[in-house]
Amino acid sequence: MGKVIVCDGNEAAAWGVALARPDMVAVYPITPQSSLAEYISQFVADGIIKADLMDVEGEHSVLSVLQGAALAGARTFTASCGQGLAFMFEPYFRTPPLRLPIVMSIVTRDGITPQSVWGGQQDAMTVRETGWVHMHCENVQEVLDTVIMAFKIAEHRDVMLPVNVNHDGNYLSYGVEKVEVPDQEEVDVFLGEKNVNWHVALDPERPMGVDPLTGGAGGIGPSLFVKYRKGLCRGMQNALRVIEEVHREWGERFGRKWAPLVEEYRLDGADYAVVTIGSMSGAGKDAVDMARDEEGKRVGLIKMKTFRPFPRKALCEALSKVKAAGVVDRSVSFGWNSGPMYQEILSSMYFLSTPIPAISFIGGLAGADITVDHFRRVIDETQRVLEGGEVASEPIWLNEST
Amino acid sequence: MGKGYKTIAFYPQRCDGCQKCVEACSEFHAGSTDPVHSRIKVVEAGGAFGLALCRQCGEPQCVMNCPAGALEKDTETGVIKWDRDRCVNCHICTLACPYAGITYNVVSEEVMKCDFCEGDPACVKACPLGALELKRGAEIFNEWAELEDLVVPGISACLGCNSELVLRHTLRRVGSNVVVATPPGCMAGVGTVGVNGKTGVKAPVFHPLLTNTAAMLAGAKRYYKRIGRDVTMIAFGGDGGTADVGFQSLSGAAERGEQMIYICVDNEGYMNTGVQRSSTTPYGAWTSTTPVGTVLRGKSRDAKPMPLLMVMHNCEYVATASTAFMEDYYRKLEKAIEAARRGMAYIHVFSPCPTGWRFPPSKLIEVGRKAVQTNIVPLWEYENRVGRIRFTHPVENPLPVAEYLSLIGKFRHLDEEQIAHIQAQTQRKIEVLKKFTSEQTTTTLHHAA
Amino acid sequence: MFHSKYLIVGASHAGLSALDAIRLIEPEGEVTLLCAESTPPYSPTILPYVVSGEVRAEEVFLRRSDRFERMGVRFEAGARVVSVQAGDHSVELESGEKWEYEKLLLATGAAPSIPRIEGLEGVSYHVLRTLEDAEKLRAAMSAAKEAIVLGAGLIGMHAAENMLKAGLKVRVVEALDQVLPAYFDPRGADLIERAFLEQGIEILTGERVEGVAQSGGRVELSLSSGKTLSGDLLLVSTGVKPRTEYLKGSGVEVEEGVVVDDRMRAGGVEDVWAAGDVAQARGFFGDSKRVNATVLSAVEQGRIAGMDMVGDSALQPYGGGMAVNTYTFFKHRAFSVGMGKVSESEDDFEVDQVYLPSSFCYQKLVFSGGYLVGASGINTELDPGVLYQLIRRKVNLEEEKGVFSAKPLEMGRVLMSQVWR
Ligand SMILES: Cc1cc2nc3c(=O)[nH]c(=O)nc-3n(C[C@H](O)[C@H](O)[C@H](O)COP(=O)(O)OP(=O)(O)OC[C@H]3O[C@@H](n4cnc5c(N)ncnc54)[C@H](O)[C@@H]3O)c2cc1C
Ligand code: SF4
Ligand code: SF4
Repeated sequence: MGKVIVCDGNEAAAWGVALARPDMVAVYPITPQSSLAEYISQFVADGIIKADLMDVEGEHSVLSVLQGAALAGARTFTASCGQGLAFMFEPYFRTPPLRLPIVMSIVTRDGITPQSVWGGQQDAMTVRETGWVHMHCENVQEVLDTVIMAFKIAEHRDVMLPVNVNHDGNYLSYGVEKVEVPDQEEVDVFLGEKNVNWHVALDPERPMGVDPLTGGAGGIGPSLFVKYRKGLCRGMQNALRVIEEVHREWGERFGRKWAPLVEEYRLDGADYAVVTIGSMSGAGKDAVDMARDEEGKRVGLIKMKTFRPFPRKALCEALSKVKAAGVVDRSVSFGWNSGPMYQEILSSMYFLSTPIPAISFIGGLAGADITVDHFRRVIDETQRVLEGGEVASEPIWLNEST
Repeated sequence: MGKGYKTIAFYPQRCDGCQKCVEACSEFHAGSTDPVHSRIKVVEAGGAFGLALCRQCGEPQCVMNCPAGALEKDTETGVIKWDRDRCVNCHICTLACPYAGITYNVVSEEVMKCDFCEGDPACVKACPLGALELKRGAEIFNEWAELEDLVVPGISACLGCNSELVLRHTLRRVGSNVVVATPPGCMAGVGTVGVNGKTGVKAPVFHPLLTNTAAMLAGAKRYYKRIGRDVTMIAFGGDGGTADVGFQSLSGAAERGEQMIYICVDNEGYMNTGVQRSSTTPYGAWTSTTPVGTVLRGKSRDAKPMPLLMVMHNCEYVATASTAFMEDYYRKLEKAIEAARRGMAYIHVFSPCPTGWRFPPSKLIEVGRKAVQTNIVPLWEYENRVGRIRFTHPVENPLPVAEYLSLIGKFRHLDEEQIAHIQAQTQRKIEVLKKFTSEQTTTTLHHAA
Repeated sequence: MFHSKYLIVGASHAGLSALDAIRLIEPEGEVTLLCAESTPPYSPTILPYVVSGEVRAEEVFLRRSDRFERMGVRFEAGARVVSVQAGDHSVELESGEKWEYEKLLLATGAAPSIPRIEGLEGVSYHVLRTLEDAEKLRAAMSAAKEAIVLGAGLIGMHAAENMLKAGLKVRVVEALDQVLPAYFDPRGADLIERAFLEQGIEILTGERVEGVAQSGGRVELSLSSGKTLSGDLLLVSTGVKPRTEYLKGSGVEVEEGVVVDDRMRAGGVEDVWAAGDVAQARGFFGDSKRVNATVLSAVEQGRIAGMDMVGDSALQPYGGGMAVNTYTFFKHRAFSVGMGKVSESEDDFEVDQVYLPSSFCYQKLVFSGGYLVGASGINTELDPGVLYQLIRRKVNLEEEKGVFSAKPLEMGRVLMSQVWR
C-alpha cells in the first residue's frame, strides 16, 4: 500500500513524475502550470526526483532538449499550456513523427486574446491533430495515476509516441483532494525496464542518420514518406489497445480502475446521455445522479478520457445505448461554430446504425465553473431533442450570463 | 619538388622535460652528456614545453641568409647541412632561423645544428615517452589526412562548396564519437543526414529544427553525462540557424554552459533557399531579398557581430576561422574540443559561397584569404580562462577592402561611398576587437553586462 | 635583342631569393639573372673574411656552379645594366646588348657612400663592397703598417678587426659619440669599444674628418678636434647608398633608393620590382620608407618580389623592415633586433636589462604595450631569430610577460615551437 496525502493536481502530477523515475525533466513556468514546475524543481532539489533538471530559456527549447535527451535514450517529462504550448509548437508537432515517447502534462488553459490566464481546454484541443496521445483526467488521483501510466503507454513498442496527460487549469491544478501515492517498488515493477531509443538513436555506438531527407516527386521519396505516415497512424491505433491494457493492469495492481478510453456512467436504462471531458465530469455525474434519482429522468453520462487517438469504437458502443446526446466542450471549434468534441462525435455517428440527435454546449471558458445547475440545463435541453425538439445550429454557451 | 623529407616532430603534451634526448644528442655528437653540445633543447616555461631544434625546413631561412654558402639542403635526405670549412661564424643564421634550430656552442665556439645523426636521430630513440617522432614533413602536415573522412563521397554540395570543406575537415578532427547536428540550410541540404535513408555521414547525425540545434544537443549531452559516457556534441549551423531564428536556443544553451562545439558556417545569407538576406549578410551585399535597383543598393545594414556576442555570453571558447587558414582552424578545433568538456565552444567559420556570392569555384580559397588580409574577417580566439581576445593572425597592414570586394559578384554594384563605408566599418570592427584584447576591458564588459 | 620573361638584375641575396620564389611556382618559365660582376654570386657580407684571409676568394660563392643549370635559369656574369627603358620593357647593358623582359627585378644592392671631405678625391683610399674591393684591400694590407678606418659601422668595425689580425696598427674615426650607432645603445657600444681597445685598436669617436691629404705613400687626416692622424692605408666605410645611377630617365621613382610598395613594386612604372639594398620600403615601426641594408631584409624583400612577380597567391604583403643584425668580434658575439637602442627613460617603453660588465655581458629587452619591440645582447644565450620573430609576428606577450621577463630564452622557444607542429 502506498501513502495517502492531500494535494492538488499539480503536485499529484509531480508525484507521478517522481515515481516514473525520469532521467530528465525540463520546465519553463506558465500559469496555471507554474506550481507543477515548482514542485518538480523542489522534488529534484530534495532528491525525490533524481533527474537532470533543465531550466531552459523557453518552451521551444524545453521540448527540444527533451528530444535530444530522448534520442540519446532518456526518459523525459515536461509540462506546459496555453501560449507556452503555442511557442513549443514547432518541436511539438515534430515529436510524434520522431516517435519519441516523451510525456507532458498540459495544465489546460484558455487561449488568448482577450487576455486570460484561466482554465479552458482551447490549448489541448488546438493541438489535437499532431499525433500526440491525449488523455484528459477527471480528478487529482487520476492525474497522478495517469502520469505514471502515460510513460508505459508512450514507451510501448507498438506505440512509441508522445503522450499528453491533460488536467484542467484552476480546477485540477489547484483543487486539493486526498490521494494515494503508490509505492515506488510497485511502480518500478509496473513500468519495467525503460528503452526509449531502441528504434531511433543518436548514439556513436549505433550510428545512424536521424530524420533523413525524402527526395521529392519522381523518386521513392513520397512513397517512403507515406510509409512513415502510415506507421505513425498505426502507432496511434495501437495506442487504443495499449491504453486499455495498461489501465487494466493498473487496476489490477493498484486497485483503481479508470475507464481507459470512454467511461460509461449510468447508461443502463438511459435514453439519453451527457458527454463530458475532464474535471467537469464530477459535476456532470452529480447532476445525472440527481436527475435520475430525484427526478426519474432516464439520463446517463459518457466521459471521454482518451481524446487522441479518437476512441471511435468505444464511443459508438456507448452512444448506441442512447437516443440523444448533449456534448459539453470546454473549448471552441471556430470553424464549425460548436465545440470540437461535439464535432468529432457527430463524425463518429456515421458509424452508428442510426445516428442520434446531439446538441453542442460550450462551457467553462476562461476559468468559469461548470456547475450542477449548468448540467441541469444540459440535461433539460438534451431531453427536449430526445423528445423531438429541433437541434439548434448554434451551440449553447453555458456561461454566457454567469 | 614534392619530395617527402623527414623531420623530427615534437608532441609537447607527451613531454615531461626529462632531458634524455638532450643527453643522447650531446653523447652522439661530442661524446659527453654536457647539454652545451646538444643540438636539441627542451625547455619549460609557463608550464609548457618548447623545443629548440632544426626543423629541416623546406624553405630554410638559414640557408637563404648565410653569406658564406655554408648551409645547404641535401636534396637526397632533406637535411640542412652545415659546412664547417665554409662557415665564417657570423651568426646571421641564428638570426634567420625562427626556431633556434641553429645555435652557438660556447665550448666549441661555433654554430651547431641537428644533422639527423646519419639518418637515425639519437634523440628520437632516447625519448621514453614518444614525444619525438621521426616523420615525413608531409606526414605531419597531412596528419589530418590520415584521420578518417567521416563524410561519404559524392554528397550533393555545389562545386567549390566551402561548407563541405568545413564539414569534412571538422569531423576528421573531431572524430566519430560524436553526435552531429546539421539544421536546415546548406549543411543539411548537401545530404549530411542522407536522402531516403542513405546517410551522408559515418557518425550519428540528425536534422534539428532550424531553431533548436543547441537545445537538442544540450539534451543529448546531458543524458550522456548522466550515464557516464563521454560523447562530443557538435553542431554545424548556418548563419540563419545561428544568428537569426536559432539565436534564442543558442543563447540559452551558451548561458547555461552546455557542453558542445557549435560551428556557425557563415555564408552570409540563406544560400540553400535561394540566396536571401540573413542578419550576417554584410552591408552592401546583393541578395535576392536585398536586391539592387534604382532605389535599393544591396543590404543597408551591417552584419550582426555573432562571435563577439558569443564572447559576451561567457562561452568557454569563441573563435573565428577561415578555410583559407586551415592550420589555424585545426588549432582552434583542438582548443574547442577541449573547451567543450567544460562548456560551450563556438567557432564562427567564414564560408564564402561560389553559388550565392557569384564567384568562380576556383577562387574559393583566394576569397577566403583576401577576406583575412583585408581584415574583413579578422582571425581571433577567446579563451574564457585567459579572459581576452587574441588575434591568431594579426593583419597590421591590411589590403584595401576593395581587393576583396572586387572578387565577388554580390558586391559588383558597390559605389565608392559604399566601399568607403565598408572600409570604415572594417576599421571600426578591428578597433573594437582590439579593446577586447585587453583583459581589463573584457572583464569590465562582462561585469557590466 | 634577348628576351626573358623574368629578368633579375643583381645576383646576391635579394636576386637569388626572388629566383627561388619564382621557381617554386613556375618551374619552367624563362628566368635570367644579370650580374655586373664577372664572378658567380657571392654576398658582400663575406668580404671582411676575405680581407682577413679566413676564406679564400674562390670559396665565397653562394650557389654551386651547376645549380642554375639544374633550375633552368640563365645566369649572365659581367652583364652590367646601364639603362632601363620601362616603357619598352627592356634594359640595356654596358656591352650594348639589349634585354627585353615581361617582369623586371632590380636587385642591384648598394655601393659605398663617400662623404664630402676636402681632399678625399685626391687621395687613394679603399672601400669594401665587392670581391674586387676586398682583393685590392688585401693586397694593399700586405704592404701597409698603419690603417685608418673612416666610420665605425659594421663594415668598418669588421674590417678594422681583420686588419689588426693581419698585423696592422688600426685606428677608427667615427663622427658620432659611439661605435655601431645603428644597432647598439651607448652601454652596449661601450662594451664593444672596450674589446677593441683591449686588443689595441684606437677608436676616436665624436671626431669629424675635416680634410684629407696625401704625401708620399701616406694619407693625413685633420680632425674636428684639431688632431691629425696619418697612416699608409685608408678605408672609407661611412655607409652605403643604393645603386640607382642606371635608372636615370627610366621613370622609376627614386628617392634615397627605389621607392617600393608592400609587394616590392617600384613606383612610377609598370612591371618593375625592386628588393634588397637598392629598395626603399616600409619601416616596421610605422616610420617612413627607408633603405634597410641588411641580409635579412634583402632575402625577405627578394622573396616577396619574386612571389608577386610570379603571382603566388600565398603572398603576404611586406610587414616592414627594422634594424636586425648579428655581430661577432674578437670571440664575442652580439646581436640587435628592432628597437634595441631605446633607453629606459623613454615613455611608452618598458625595458628589462641585465648588465654584467665584468663578465662582458649585456642583455636588453624592450617592450611596448604587450609586445616585444626590441632586443639586443652581447654574449647572451638568447636566440636572436626567436626574438626577431616575436617582434615581427607581433606576438602578444601581455599574458606571458612575467614568465617571459624571467625566462626569455625558454619562453621564446616555447612560443615559437608552438607555431610549428
Ligand atoms: C663588408 C660588408 C659587411 C656586411 N655585413 C653584414 C652583416 O654582418 N649583416 C648583414 O645583415 N648585412 C651585412 N652587410 C650588408 C649586406 O651584405 C647587404 O645588405 C646585402 O648583401 C644586400 O643584398 P642585395 O642583394 O640587395 O645587394 P648586393 O649584395 O649588394 O648585391 C647586388 C648585386 O647586384 C649586382 N649589380 C649591381 N649593379 C648592377 C648593375 N648595374 N647591373 C647588373 N648587376 C648589378 C652586383 O654585382 C651584385 O650581384 C654587409 C655588407 C658589407 C659590404
Ligand atoms: S636551422 Fe632553422 S631555418 Fe635552418 S632549416 Fe633548421 S629550422 Fe629551418
Ligand atoms: S654562422 Fe656560419 S652557417 Fe651561420 S650564417 Fe654565418 S657563415 Fe653561415
